[in-house]
Amino acid sequence: MTSRRALAIGWATWSGLLLLATTLFVQTRDSTDLAYAVLTMILIVLGGSIAGGRGLGFTLAVTSFVLIDYYFQQPYNRFSVNKPHDAVVLLAFLATAGVATDLLVRARQEADAARQRTDEVQTLARLGAATLRHASPDAALDELAGLVRETIGAAVCSILRCDDTGDVTLASRSAAGETTSLDPRLEMRAAAQAVERGVPVTLMAGQETAHDVTRFTDNDPPSLTTLVLALPLSANERAIGALVVRGDPMLTLDAARRRFLAALSYYATLGLERARLFAEAAHADALREANRAKDEILASVSHDLRTPLTTIKVLAQGAESRGEPSAPAIVEQADRLARMVRDLLELSRIRAGGSVVSPELNTAEDLVGAALRQAQGILDGRVVVPHVDLDSPVLVGTFDFVHTLRIIGNLIENALRYTPPGGVVDLRARRDGAELVFVVADRGAGVPQSEAARIFDVFYRPAGAVPDSGHAGLGLSIARTLAELQGGTLAYASRPGGGSEFTLRLPAADVGEPSVDELT
Amino acid sequence: MLHGVTAIRADTILVIDDEVQIRRAIVNALRPLSDRMLEASTGGEGIDLAATARPELIVLDLGLPDMEGAAVCREVRRWSSAPIVVLSARHAESEKVELLTAGADDYVTKPFSLVEFVARVQAHLRRSRTPTQSLSQPVVFDGLTIDLVRREVRREGPIRLTRIEWSLLQTLLTHAGRTLTHQQLFDAVWAKSFGNPQQYLRVHMTNLRRKIEREPASPRLIVTDPGVGYRFEAVEP
Repeated sequence: MTSRRALAIGWATWSGLLLLATTLFVQTRDSTDLAYAVLTMILIVLGGSIAGGRGLGFTLAVTSFVLIDYYFQQPYNRFSVNKPHDAVVLLAFLATAGVATDLLVRARQEADAARQRTDEVQTLARLGAATLRHASPDAALDELAGLVRETIGAAVCSILRCDDTGDVTLASRSAAGETTSLDPRLEMRAAAQAVERGVPVTLMAGQETAHDVTRFTDNDPPSLTTLVLALPLSANERAIGALVVRGDPMLTLDAARRRFLAALSYYATLGLERARLFAEAAHADALREANRAKDEILASVSHDLRTPLTTIKVLAQGAESRGEPSAPAIVEQADRLARMVRDLLELSRIRAGGSVVSPELNTAEDLVGAALRQAQGILDGRVVVPHVDLDSPVLVGTFDFVHTLRIIGNLIENALRYTPPGGVVDLRARRDGAELVFVVADRGAGVPQSEAARIFDVFYRPAGAVPDSGHAGLGLSIARTLAELQGGTLAYASRPGGGSEFTLRLPAADVGEPSVDELT
Repeated sequence: MLHGVTAIRADTILVIDDEVQIRRAIVNALRPLSDRMLEASTGGEGIDLAATARPELIVLDLGLPDMEGAAVCREVRRWSSAPIVVLSARHAESEKVELLTAGADDYVTKPFSLVEFVARVQAHLRRSRTPTQSLSQPVVFDGLTIDLVRREVRREGPIRLTRIEWSLLQTLLTHAGRTLTHQQLFDAVWAKSFGNPQQYLRVHMTNLRRKIEREPASPRLIVTDPGVGYRFEAVEP
């Protein structure tokens, strides 16, 4: 409306100016050169072309030609086009109008394109800033959806993420005020199909199947009109979701807008990826925190259980030294309780995945020596006899010394339980191919064949065992778990001639002998 | 009360423990060893007492309300060489290594046996009183004669050691009774020779034991502190 009025004003103004100039020059046409009138009219044609476009320009040009011919060329007040230079004048007027309007149109188009590009760059900059500004990636996604919707002129913009199976869920949705009631299921359907096919798709109301838009960023077709348009989003060659825009009632996008939408979709991809990484980081933080809490609890439980146990034991030992007859039993029971606490803590640490295995180069003899030393306190008149061939090169393996000592310790503890005073437990170490083998053997009652498979279960007790035999049945279970944790095996076999035989196999290692020139 | 209490007595022993009953029991058990027993219930109080009373030995319980045990160790170590025996309810080897590195001399895990604890305190008192120059004379342990000056080891006949084995033995002997962590042994022995990868420490130790121990599979002179290091046990001659 306004532009039509502006156009009418332009026509009136420039036509008026032409008439005014003609009137002025007609009065002095005898005393002034014709060139002044012509140049003035060319200026008016030029001005009219700029202000009113091609139509006004050509009208003014033709009118000017007629006026000059009629008023300023002799014979005056008569129209004659047969004068030879008439054609030149007409051509000059027409050319002026034509070139001026053409230049103007082109300049306008370029200015429009530049303005649009500036808008796009500004939008992209705002999107980039929005992606980074928000502490929460979800809020950034919301702002992103809003910006895309406004920029494209859509009624709704949704960003959806998909999982590995192709199921899509809404990550963010922005709808213009009066369109919030639109059902997002249509967008989700389009998104799912775009993700599945990997190309932009359009979907109309009432349609089940979307249409592929295979040449999305081409100029062909020049304009795309649809209800819903969905662009698949992918990162690292993996589909991660879709960007969906929806019109109300329709959305029309020319080639430039489509290209711009394609550019915007990369920001949606970045936003989704950022949200995913953010969630992953939060998850990792939570895991770390849980792990730390677990360590803290284990530490405080061991402190809280062992400190009173220490008090009990220390006080009982004091009483024992004063000849209190019941004191030795208190000391013994405190020790037993301490072992159970140790086993339970060890088991919960293993179960929680908190047992760190650090395999290093270790020797079998070192381990055997440490195991014998550790067993000293529980021998009670029984003997553990080491069998290591001291004439062969040192037996070396790659294993975690502390865990392995725990395994052997538990096996010895178990063997001693079934060994009467004066009895012997054998601890053997040897090399077998690529494995280092430790065997703990006793002459106890052994395990019936029917139960052999169960002895490594937590809380297993042999059938008919004294209920109060002083252990919770955790030792063998812990031993096997620790063996497997470091890539070894622990197996039971009945011993030829009676008794039990536990065989621990761990990876062996080879080292050279120290050279002779090292001798002092 | 205690078996084989010898004439060794300390002027002053400081016990830092926030559990009153354990502290009392320890003080009672150690009283035969010292004329003056001092007690502290926090790390700060302990450090103050250690600075003013200059105890000959310090018993330090971990899990004090105000300070990390390692921090107390490091602080005291800045100006005192008194042996520090640490008590801990945790059984983590990493903690043990940290404390030994921070300057603790021994690490006893709860619940401990009082008899064994007193024996260890005694051993540390004896060691801290033994002047280093006494090693200028040959020493005899469990039938093994070691002469650090002449670099000779013999049991019945002379024993030939490699350079690394000798260096290990010398380092352990000069810190007899104290656990040296794997790292401390590396630093002491391998600083002098780069010819052999450090990871072979345990292999060298096993070879050394085969040469000097009566029963190498059940060693009595060099004992293993599992996951922590090795210790030369000052077996009575």
